[in-house]
Parts: sequence; C-alpha cells; structure tokens
Amino acid sequence: MEVLVAWAPLLLDALSFVLVLALVALGLVVIFGLLGVINLAHGELLMLGGYTVVVAMGWGAPFWLAVAIAPLVAGVVGAVVELVLIRRLAARPLDTILATWGLAIVLQQAVTLAFGPRSRSVVAPTDTSALVAGISYPAYRLQLMAVAAVVLVGTMTWLARSGAGLRARAAIADPAMAAALGVNVGLVRLQCFALGAALAGLAGALLAPIVSVDPHMGFGFLVPAFLAILVGGSATVAGVLGGAGVIGGADSLLGHWVSPVLAQIVVFVVAILAIRLRSGRTTRF
Amino acid sequence: MRDAPLPVSILVFAALVALPFFAGDFWTGQMARYAVFGVFAMSLALLWGRAGILSFGHAMFFGIGGYAMATATLGTFDIVPFTAAWPSLLFAVAVAAFAALLVAAFLFWGAGVSGAYLAAVTLALSAILEQAVRGWYALGADNGLSGVPPLPLGDNPWNPRPTYFFLIGVAAVVYFGLVALLSSRVGTLLTALRTNPRRLAFLGYSVVALRIAVFTLGGAIAGFAGALFVATDAFASPSLIGFALSAEVLIWVALGGRSVLLAAFFAAILLRVVESYLSDALGPWWLLALGIVFMAAVATVPNGLLATPLRWVQKRFARRQGPQAS
Repeated sequence: MEVLVAWAPLLLDALSFVLVLALVALGLVVIFGLLGVINLAHGELLMLGGYTVVVAMGWGAPFWLAVAIAPLVAGVVGAVVELVLIRRLAARPLDTILATWGLAIVLQQAVTLAFGPRSRSVVAPTDTSALVAGISYPAYRLQLMAVAAVVLVGTMTWLARSGAGLRARAAIADPAMAAALGVNVGLVRLQCFALGAALAGLAGALLAPIVSVDPHMGFGFLVPAFLAILVGGSATVAGVLGGAGVIGGADSLLGHWVSPVLAQIVVFVVAILAIRLRSGRTTRF
Repeated sequence: MRDAPLPVSILVFAALVALPFFAGDFWTGQMARYAVFGVFAMSLALLWGRAGILSFGHAMFFGIGGYAMATATLGTFDIVPFTAAWPSLLFAVAVAAFAALLVAAFLFWGAGVSGAYLAAVTLALSAILEQAVRGWYALGADNGLSGVPPLPLGDNPWNPRPTYFFLIGVAAVVYFGLVALLSSRVGTLLTALRTNPRRLAFLGYSVVALRIAVFTLGGAIAGFAGALFVATDAFASPSLIGFALSAEVLIWVALGGRSVLLAAFFAAILLRVVESYLSDALGPWWLLALGIVFMAAVATVPNGLLATPLRWVQKRFARRQGPQAS
C-alpha cells in the first residue's frame, strides 16, 4: 500500500499526459491517417485552443463554457485552412508539410502580435483535491482525464461505426469510387480537417490550466504526438492510445527517474527505431 | 534536367565577386556568412529537388560539420591530432560525411523510409541531436563553443575581403562541380530516382545504394558549409544543429526553387539580406510576412519564386534556338 501511495501521483501525472497526448494524436490521426496530410500546424491549433480559453474567460465566460468554445474556434480555423490552403495541395501531399509549417509560423506570429510573447495563466475551475487510491490528487486533473477519455472513445467510435465515419473512410481509401457512389469527397475532407483541428483545440483548452499558455506551447506537443501515431499506428483507438502511452508514459516516467533531456532522447530513439521497423506499412483505419 | 543557364550563373557569381568594391566591410562580412548558407541550401536542393529525398533534419550535418571544426581547431578532444585550420576543415567534412552515411544507411536500407515517414524520422533525428548537444558539457552545452579561430587567410583579421573571396570561390566550385556532376549520367540517374525509382530498380540499378550515395554527398557538403560557417562566425552553437535551422533551409530552398541549385543558393543569400533589413524595420511582422509568403508560394508556385521565371526564360530561349534537348 505504501508503495502505491508513493507511486500514485507519478502514475496519475503520466496518465493525464498520455490522455492529452492521445487527444492531440487523435487529431493528427484524423488529418494524417484519413487525409494523408502532415499537419505541422497542429501544435498551433492546440495553442489557439489555449488562447480561446484565455480570451473567453477574460470576457467572463465560465471555464467549461470556454473549453466548449475552443474546439469550435480551432475547427473553424481548420476549415478555412482546408478550403484556402490544403485543398490546393491535394495532388502534392508532401508539400502540405511545407505549407502547414508556413501556417504554423503565421499562427505563432499572429498570436504573438495579438497577445504579446509572454505567457498567460488560466485558473483551474476547481482547486480541490480528490482522494484516489489513498492519496489526494488535484480534482481538475481527474476531470481532464475523464473528458479526454470520453472524447477519445467517442470520436473513434463515431469514425468506426457511424455512417459519416464510413463515408469518411471510403472517401480517403478510394476518392474516385466514393465520389461515384455519391459521397461528397470535398466536403468529407473539409469535415475531417475541421474535426482534427477541433480535437487539437480541445486539447489546448484542457491543458490551459496546467501549463502556461504562450505562443510556443504547441510545438512541444507536435513531435511527441507525431511519434505516437507513427509508433502506435492509427488503425484503432488502441493504436493511438498505445502510441501515446509509449511516448507519453516513457517521457514522463523517465523524466522523473533520470533527466528530462535524457528521457526525451531515449523516447525519440525508441520511436525512430519503431518507425524504421514499421515502415512500408501504410496508415489506414 | 539542367540547372540555371550558364550566363545567368556566371553573372550571379561575378556580381558576388564585385560586391566588396561597392559594399562596406560590414556587409562583406555578412555576405560571406550568407554565401555559406547558400552552399548549405544547395546541398538540400541536391537531395530534395534532384533526388526526391525530403529531409526535415538537414541542419544536423551542418551542425556536425560545425562542431567537428570547432572541437578540432580548439583541441577539445585529444584524439584529434591537429588543430590547424585546413586539416580540421577536411576532418569536419569527413565526420559529416560519415554521419550522413550512417543516417542514410539506417534510413534507406531494405524497404527504406520514404515520404512522410522520412520527414518525421529526420525531424526527430535532428531534434535528438540538438538535445544531445545541449546537454553535452564538453561541447559547451547550451552556450556552444566560442573563440573558434578564423581561416588563415590574409594577415589582417579585421579585413573581411580575403575570407569573402575565398568563400565565394568555394561556393562557385561547389556549384559548378555539382552542375558538372548533374549533367553527367549521375544527373539522369537522380532524375530517375526521384520520378520512378521502381523502374530504375528494374533496369538493374541499386536504388538503395544511389540514395545512400547522394545523401552522403549532400551531408558532406552541408558539413563543409557548417565548418566554414563556424570558422567565419568564430562560434558553434546548438542552434546550428536543430530543427529551427533545418526548417529555415527548407524555406530558402522552397522559395528559391528546389530543383535549381542556383535558385536555392541565391534565395538563401537574398532572404538573409532581406531579413536583416526587414527584421529591424518590421519586427515581429517580418516572420508573419515570411510565413504568409512561404505558404502562398508553396501553394501557387511550387517550383520556386526564382526558378519559375528562370525556367520560363530558358524555355523561350530554347524555342528560339529551335528544338533542343533539355
């Protein structure tokens, strides 16, 4: 029991990081796995979610309302980006890497110009602690984990089971055939990109009370999220969760035991080896 | 595929040689650094535009070359038996080439990594390397290594002209050397590697060996540029090795024209000059403008802002000359 008490906060911290990372990775999976688009601006969409919470709460909105608005804002930005930028690059998937990198710079600088370079902080909706496994743990982090888990399972179920999800997968697997069968492929791609962006925005909003909200907050999540889907694959919710678990879990646990720098190096090396061994297999639902 | 027309490339290098007679010492010194970045950009254009290998971590070889040069000339490690500039420069190129060979063998062996996976792996590799250098105390960690001696050119260290002329000469040698290589059979093989590697394999060529060879060459040139930069700047810092510079060189090459070496070279210099003027005048708006231009250029002018008009002129000229192999 004492061992558990000593370990529980560490494990819970790791779990909350893994769940948020899985949320970010799920957004990337929808965009990369379904559209084949490498979205290097994903971290900046997350950052937009964080700033939405800052602005909405500044206007007097309660925290959870602000969290609900964030994915809408990020989703609308995502939809505009798809219409204006990504659509033109449908025939050149590798160029989307460059274009979204340009977008990342633009979003970062626009936010820096609008809000200044310094970081903002968001007050968590509750500062109480809950009793978990015999230890007290911040209640907000538990709420965050619950929301992230529900959204993760909900999105994956929707993609795998609903008619809209089926049309999305059809439009990606064989656009010509799907279009012949009456699927509006352009609309599906638009929806997928907006959904991916909204998931990033939600992750940013949920993170806002536990990290500092600044123009560069997104970049730190981009690389681990990418590695997570490349390691875990994006075939199932288990793949995304597994990838996020390996990357996020190793990162936070090793970061505690050894040093954060060494932890990141170990995680990246493991991820690269995993990608190298998996390469050749395509990412498909 | 040919590079820029010969008169244009001669004009560009002649203009660069003439520059110190019009610009002051400050700009001559700055332009020397920019020319080195231009060489770095050419090495990426070779990999990306010619061989179809999109690397998101190309700065790792620039940084490895730079740190190899710095540690050798400063005598950081006893196992390197020389501290003189010229052997150190050769040493730096060799180290960068060896690192590129290892990375290439790892990336391309067997089925190999390509496309999006290649971008992700190279990005992660340069991120790892930057983390490692930032934590490596013998290499100065976050502070980098300062006081790297300059190249022994001329007697007066305050006169930037000898170094400048030397570096422009180096850039010209690299450029015309690569153009000669690319107009030989190797250029045809690289075009095939980029456009249809499977057919190249059917014809009996080893796609893996070709990819490894060109990646090693690109890494060696990048390392050469890195070593020259560190000697010119007297300073090796972790920012030379990581993701930021890797992304920056991609922007230069994409804006200039990925498949025309001269366009990549000149775009790197031009963007650096524009940046040093505009980043003072515009402040944070400069990066915003660069991002917007970059995004728009990738979407609408994929062949580059310099290379597209160049190709257009070339076509017009070729038509007037009658049918000609391009």
